[in-house]
Amino acid sequence: MRINRFWAAILLGIPLIYLIVFFVTPLGMVFVDSFSNKAGELTLENYAIVLGDPYYWRVLGYTLWIALITCIATLIFGYPLAYYMSLIERRRAVRRLCFILILMPLFTSNIVRSFGWIVLLGREGLINETLMLLGLVDRPLRLLSTETAIIIGMIYVMLPFMVLAIASVLQNMNPSLREASRDLGAGAFTTFLKVTLPLSVPGIVAGTLIVFTLSISSYVTPRIMSGGRSVVSSMLIYDQFMLVFNPFLGSAIAVVLLVTCFLLIVAYTLLLERRQPAR
Amino acid sequence: MSRHLIARARNSFGTVLLSAVAWVVLLYLVLPLAVVIAISFTTTEYLAFPPVGFTLRWYQRFLADPSYVDSILLSARLAFGATLIGFLLGVPAALVLKRSTLRGATFIANLFLSPLILPAIIIGVGVLQISDALGFARSFEAMLVGHVVIILPYIVRTTLASLEGFDNSLEEAAQDLGASGFATFFYVTLPMIKPGIIAGCLFGLIMSWIDVEVSIFNTVIAQSPIPVKVFNYVQYSVDPMIAAVSAGTIYIAFILVFLLDRLVGLDKVAGQQK
Repeated sequence: MRINRFWAAILLGIPLIYLIVFFVTPLGMVFVDSFSNKAGELTLENYAIVLGDPYYWRVLGYTLWIALITCIATLIFGYPLAYYMSLIERRRAVRRLCFILILMPLFTSNIVRSFGWIVLLGREGLINETLMLLGLVDRPLRLLSTETAIIIGMIYVMLPFMVLAIASVLQNMNPSLREASRDLGAGAFTTFLKVTLPLSVPGIVAGTLIVFTLSISSYVTPRIMSGGRSVVSSMLIYDQFMLVFNPFLGSAIAVVLLVTCFLLIVAYTLLLERRQPAR
Repeated sequence: MSRHLIARARNSFGTVLLSAVAWVVLLYLVLPLAVVIAISFTTTEYLAFPPVGFTLRWYQRFLADPSYVDSILLSARLAFGATLIGFLLGVPAALVLKRSTLRGATFIANLFLSPLILPAIIIGVGVLQISDALGFARSFEAMLVGHVVIILPYIVRTTLASLEGFDNSLEEAAQDLGASGFATFFYVTLPMIKPGIIAGCLFGLIMSWIDVEVSIFNTVIAQSPIPVKVFNYVQYSVDPMIAAVSAGTIYIAFILVFLLDRLVGLDKVAGQQK
């Protein structure tokens, strides 16, 4: 069914105007603000501060570091789960249970999820109690407000995204390819390594991209798990806007974060394209 | 023969190992949620895990506190409002993008999807700037327009996806039988793409409901959505009452998962998340 020009213009035009007013324009405003000062003049001073002070570099580096670790860890933990789910195709009830267990955290706010970890990682939390019971430590470890806590929280929050991205690719994979490999005498492990894994690369790429971009801009989890210290870029942005009331410096930090994120994604995709010639 | 047996034994060992790893990961995914639910029933004044005794006192206290109930109602209004607007904007846009021979349709489609990959915190900051310029900063409306931006991609994408394998001959048949354009759309097209639209809207509803990054920059001073309220509370102290509030949001998540399974099927959802 074709839609005539008049209706097409209205049906697409209104949403497009909305997006331009409330998405494109605000981004432009943040960009312009990053080159402005309180007097309303155009200036580079915000960037001079952000790029000239090692503190901002350290925070940016730490933000990227956390995102990288989260990416790798969610891939390592998420892949087996996604693969397992593709193998139990015929066991509908188990598959459904898996989906419920993956979607439940995804549908719960990051705060509530991080709150669960506060309880687990506390001095008298489950982790410390278990370690003490097993005799592995003799007094409670300080787990909260540490880098370990931030990373555990981040992995936890991002894991469902990775699992679902890989699972959706494995799910659509033609099972006869695996069977053919088996029939030709390859063992399960060889089949996985030579057939399943290479074919699931698009899922891995999608998953790592999602997790990386979400991790870089993550605010809630690092703030709760770090005990409030400003350790990642998103916290600096928040502080500049809402506590220090310097939206210009805040905007510059945001632009630097955005550009870094964009450049890394471009580098990553280019690297993959070179590795994997067009199929 | 014996080689075959060894291969099978190795295979089953591999399968067992894989299942074990998968279930450990699943356990890791539910553990924190289970812990929050468990401690919301403790009779102690402090957080105790495992919980001591069983009481609904904390739920009563939170439901008796109008500020929490108001926050939940605000969140619900925000989520439903944003989803409704997202639906009204996103579904027609996706339909036109798929059906018209417009030049630049791919570019526009990508524009609609781009809020997904942009850091939410920057969207939050941007909405603060534009709403300030237009004179409605830090209001319900500011949060609403921001939430529409973050959930629009989900609705557009699932609608586009459900139009992907669409069999045009069904619409042609309807029109050959004398149905008008509107009748064809409402009786043929819409019922066929309905699951995709429902999935997109439910995802949008959830993303709005759990959002902090956009809301926190645009919160109404007197009142904030429930995730922001819990966030502000958890930063300074944690107690069984806040566990009960948190547990409440987990029950709602469970209802939404159940609805999604009933209306669309969880298998189909897998390919449509962020």
